[in-house]
Amino acid sequence: MLSYNLKLALQNFKRAPSLYFLVLLTLSIGVGLLCANLALVSSMTGDPIPEKSDKLFHVSMNTWPNDQPNAEPFHILRYREAMKITESDIPSNSAVFYASGVYARDAQSDSLKRFDSSVRATTSGFFALTKAPFAYGNGFAKNSGMEVVIGDQLNQKIFSGENSVGKTLELDGELLTITGVLKPWSLRPLFYHATEGRAFNLTDDVYVPLETAIDLGWSIHARSSSTVSYKGVEFTRDRDVFYLQAWVELEDKTKQQAFQNYLDNYSQTLKDAGEHPLDINNQLRDVNAWLLEQNIVDQKVLAFTLASVLFLCVCVFNASSLLLSRFHSAKFEVGLRRAIGASNKNILNQGLTESVLLGFVAGVVSLFLSWLFLKLSVTFLPDLANIAVLDPKLLLLGMLLALITSVSSALYPLYRANRYTISAELK
Amino acid sequence: MNNVSRIYRNDTIQTHALRDFSLEVNAGEFVAVTGPSGSGKSTFLNVAGLLDNFDEGEYTLDGVSVHGLEDDDLSRLRNEKIGFIFQSYNLIPDYSIFDNVEMPLRYRGFNAVDRKRRVIQALEKVGLASRTNYLPSQLSGGQQQRVAIARALAGEPKILLADEPTGNLDSLMARQVMELLHNLNQEGTTIIMVTHDPDQAREVNRNIQIIDGQISDFKIYAPLQSLESDSADAVKNKEEVDA
Repeated sequence: MLSYNLKLALQNFKRAPSLYFLVLLTLSIGVGLLCANLALVSSMTGDPIPEKSDKLFHVSMNTWPNDQPNAEPFHILRYREAMKITESDIPSNSAVFYASGVYARDAQSDSLKRFDSSVRATTSGFFALTKAPFAYGNGFAKNSGMEVVIGDQLNQKIFSGENSVGKTLELDGELLTITGVLKPWSLRPLFYHATEGRAFNLTDDVYVPLETAIDLGWSIHARSSSTVSYKGVEFTRDRDVFYLQAWVELEDKTKQQAFQNYLDNYSQTLKDAGEHPLDINNQLRDVNAWLLEQNIVDQKVLAFTLASVLFLCVCVFNASSLLLSRFHSAKFEVGLRRAIGASNKNILNQGLTESVLLGFVAGVVSLFLSWLFLKLSVTFLPDLANIAVLDPKLLLLGMLLALITSVSSALYPLYRANRYTISAELK
Repeated sequence: MNNVSRIYRNDTIQTHALRDFSLEVNAGEFVAVTGPSGSGKSTFLNVAGLLDNFDEGEYTLDGVSVHGLEDDDLSRLRNEKIGFIFQSYNLIPDYSIFDNVEMPLRYRGFNAVDRKRRVIQALEKVGLASRTNYLPSQLSGGQQQRVAIARALAGEPKILLADEPTGNLDSLMARQVMELLHNLNQEGTTIIMVTHDPDQAREVNRNIQIIDGQISDFKIYAPLQSLESDSADAVKNKEEVDA
């Protein structure tokens, strides 16, 4: 019976192509627009590292040296606190870093073309903590040394994607040897640097040992605060300059509590030494709690998503109205089929088969429209570039939405069709 | 049917389309149903064909009491036991003759081989086996009605219900269709036919007249055999009186 119902559905499409095209377009635009918005929301609210997001903790401390009532813990730390964190053996991994930027070129190349590259000056634990995927080589073992890991994009630009491990990069005039090349790596949101509106930036081009970057004086390209003046980053190690973010990986609640105590004890020692006038308030937030805290979801996108849900409802009503007229004009055939032995269930199944088929086609069209809407969004709002992505989960959701809306829009017309008096249309 | 009533109601009025209607049709009969417009002929045919409900009474079709049956059961009964022939043929215009005749078989669950065999057999019976791929619009009115008869026959029903089957045909084509129905009846098919044509009513072995939703005893269209026998009796009686 399914093949017969499919055949009837195709015959019906051929009978009223304009009407079905309108239904298809109506549903596709509604679903497509909603999917495009859901893609943005999904990127904004997604868990970037689900396998261990509950074990990675951002460290905030309120070690500000001046007396500031109601001061909240700071998300950036001084070098001394950062080092205290890396010294602890409680976390299975820890990473302390700051963002910088350099111009990069192949030191062996005749070309003088340099590429503007984002830099993560970090301790070596960063790669294990973030599960950075390596295509070639591996991370640097020490927090100092003229070594570097580069991202896929930079490797593509400079070395055409080849294995560049062992080659030398010239970064702002300094020569560093490549120890590892990452695979294409996207984190949505970029949890390890979700502050300062960077939650949807791409992962970095260059990863360099923290001490090396400080020694080379690579400037801080992120928020920093200080109570003293300083000439450059190389003078920050023993000063009250706050610029380093810290993440730790804690395997369980016990480790979490132990590390909390470790931070609080450290703060107490500062207090005892008269360097900590504020209340002790150190906070550990896991990835999702940290992202929530940062309010990274754009409220305008949420509002627009709600509007697209309402728009989809209007589309379903319109499609339903069109299908009602179609079923109304098919009263004769419904009556005839009922007269010769089709049950209400048969007619319902026939209508549902038609809706599901229509839903499949609408799904494909709506996913294309979603892609188009996202492309247009990026054209007008370039900031969305890294989050305007249709992942497989959303493709599936889009298809499902199209099926649901298609069946929903046919329900009332089908109900009406089954209420027709059989004999009324047959003479 | 035994004391069947069908009442149509709206806000202000109720109409008794059938009232205490009783009729028994035996297997193999050819019954003509006549009566003026609005008398209840179509309602009778719709109730008999399970296309409409009835409010009171009993209706037994081939041993099955239909009162209170669910939609699925009614549909199955329609499909298995009843064949409909309509005045306007009611063929689907963009389906081939084959597809039109095959329609009821699709809902019976026959496989493709059985469906094909039954469609061809039914079309052979009405003399249109060579036109399986034609569209209805490529056939004359009489041929279209024969296709409709083939569709009704394909499922080998117990009874054919025909609602003015020649109403849209010229006299020649009407004649051909009537001959076909008579042949089917002679082969054992039970037929109930609503007609306005007194000649057609007279051709069949039983006719009933419905007036105001009830069977009337007043016979306008007595069967020819009955008329002939009545007139022979009258002549005989007259001769006896004269003697």
